[in-house]
Amino acid sequence: METIESAGAPEDLTFGAALAELEEIVKALESGQLELEDSLGRYERGVSLLRACRTKLADAQQRVTMLVGEIEEDDAE
Amino acid sequence: MTEAATTSVGVSEALRRAKSVLETITLTIVGEVSECTTKPGYKAVYFSLSDDTSVLPCLMWRDSYDACGFELRPGMLVEVAGVFTAYAAKGRLQFQVRRLTPAGEGVLRMQVAALARKLEAEGLMSASRKRPLPAFPAKIGLVTSPRGKAVHDVIRTLRRRYPVAELVIAGVQVEGDGAVAALIEGLRLAGAHPGVEVVILARGGGSYEDLMPFNAEQVARAVAQCPVPVVTGIGHEPDDSIADMVADVRASTPTAAAEAAAPSVIEIAARVDAAARLLGKALSHSVTERTHRLRLIAHRPVFRDANCLMSARMQALDSTAESLDRALPAGIARAEQLVLRSAEGLARIAERIAERHQLALDVAARNLAHQGPAFIERADRRWALSSARLDDLSPLAVLGRGFAVCYDHGGGRVLRSAAEVASGDRVRVRLAEGTLGCTVENTYPEV
Repeated sequence: METIESAGAPEDLTFGAALAELEEIVKALESGQLELEDSLGRYERGVSLLRACRTKLADAQQRVTMLVGEIEEDDAE
Repeated sequence: MTEAATTSVGVSEALRRAKSVLETITLTIVGEVSECTTKPGYKAVYFSLSDDTSVLPCLMWRDSYDACGFELRPGMLVEVAGVFTAYAAKGRLQFQVRRLTPAGEGVLRMQVAALARKLEAEGLMSASRKRPLPAFPAKIGLVTSPRGKAVHDVIRTLRRRYPVAELVIAGVQVEGDGAVAALIEGLRLAGAHPGVEVVILARGGGSYEDLMPFNAEQVARAVAQCPVPVVTGIGHEPDDSIADMVADVRASTPTAAAEAAAPSVIEIAARVDAAARLLGKALSHSVTERTHRLRLIAHRPVFRDANCLMSARMQALDSTAESLDRALPAGIARAEQLVLRSAEGLARIAERIAERHQLALDVAARNLAHQGPAFIERADRRWALSSARLDDLSPLAVLGRGFAVCYDHGGGRVLRSAAEVASGDRVRVRLAEGTLGCTVENTYPEV
């Protein structure tokens, strides 16, 4: 079982990275190959990733950056 | 024609005859539109087609014109199919148009098809080049016109489906002169923007001609060279543009492209919830499994009765003590005599021995000082060896003590839990000598 290096505070990860790490942790825990201490550590990490994922989903406000050009208002809106 | 020379006819009859001859001439004509009248109230649209030296008045019945799906404008090059006729009231020759198409389009389509074949031969459209889209893009690039519906369709769709992602927009000109360069620059900017994982190339519907920048070779190459996957949403069904063919994923509209580029929040929330459930379950399973193993160990005899660890040694000690007790009384009297006599002798020889040994001791002390460390090291190694042997709980030795090992039917896996087998399963039991083939009658998961 390859160990996953915690890439950083869950809040600092992108949503995709956080979810991917969370799913890795679930897989590792389910494998039953981990030491108990490792299981607990990963579980804690998993819980904080889970919280970060949910916060990101709940708080997501679309951010739009213009590289070039200026958007005209849509008449339909 | 002899009749014409001999008999006079009226004007109407003359024109009727001319008309009947003209109406046998069916043609397809290419020309540039001038002076067109397309007033809604009229039964027909009237326009003229011209080339460098001639002008031909045309008419097209309103319903045919409405069905052709595009609007005539002066200066347009068009292809018309129809028949010559005459308008008797004005004595005028005219061409009655049945079918009208932009003349340029056929040529454009041929050019586009040729380019498509060329790029396909280069492998630019091969399925193996198509890159998978990221599952959860943190940043999504969008190259499209900053005006019109397309940009808003994409923004709206992503806001609804996946507001987690940041949208990075290159709002560029998408039709007319300069659009090709603008699209290439937009793709370059969006594709190279840090963190952008997928680029949407979009535009709303338009005429085939309007779509031409998306058929440009340089734009196709810019799509192919984009460092991240490109999704096209170019609203021009049923035509595929070259950009569509080269793109990693082709969607039919800007909205569909946005849907393809990002997952839906609802799907994701379900995935997060599933992970949450599995996380708790996996940990509790892992703890339960260990608790079970621990309980199995705790119930081994050695932990239930500490005496059994020592019992053999204790018995040996007891029997030694007994022999000692028996031997002592008789021995003591003899020993006393012996000791008394020996004490005298000893005292005598002690001095001599002391002298003799003093010398040997000195030598030995020197040797010891010299060889001591090497000796200790040897002793250490021997100690390590024997303790390793002690630790090495050879399964055979364990079997020799009367334990047995239970394997699964294949004999490859040692069974550690009753839960690993079910009633009726065949198992193998290895004894110190020989193996038994057994069938499980009952399982008792608790020890």
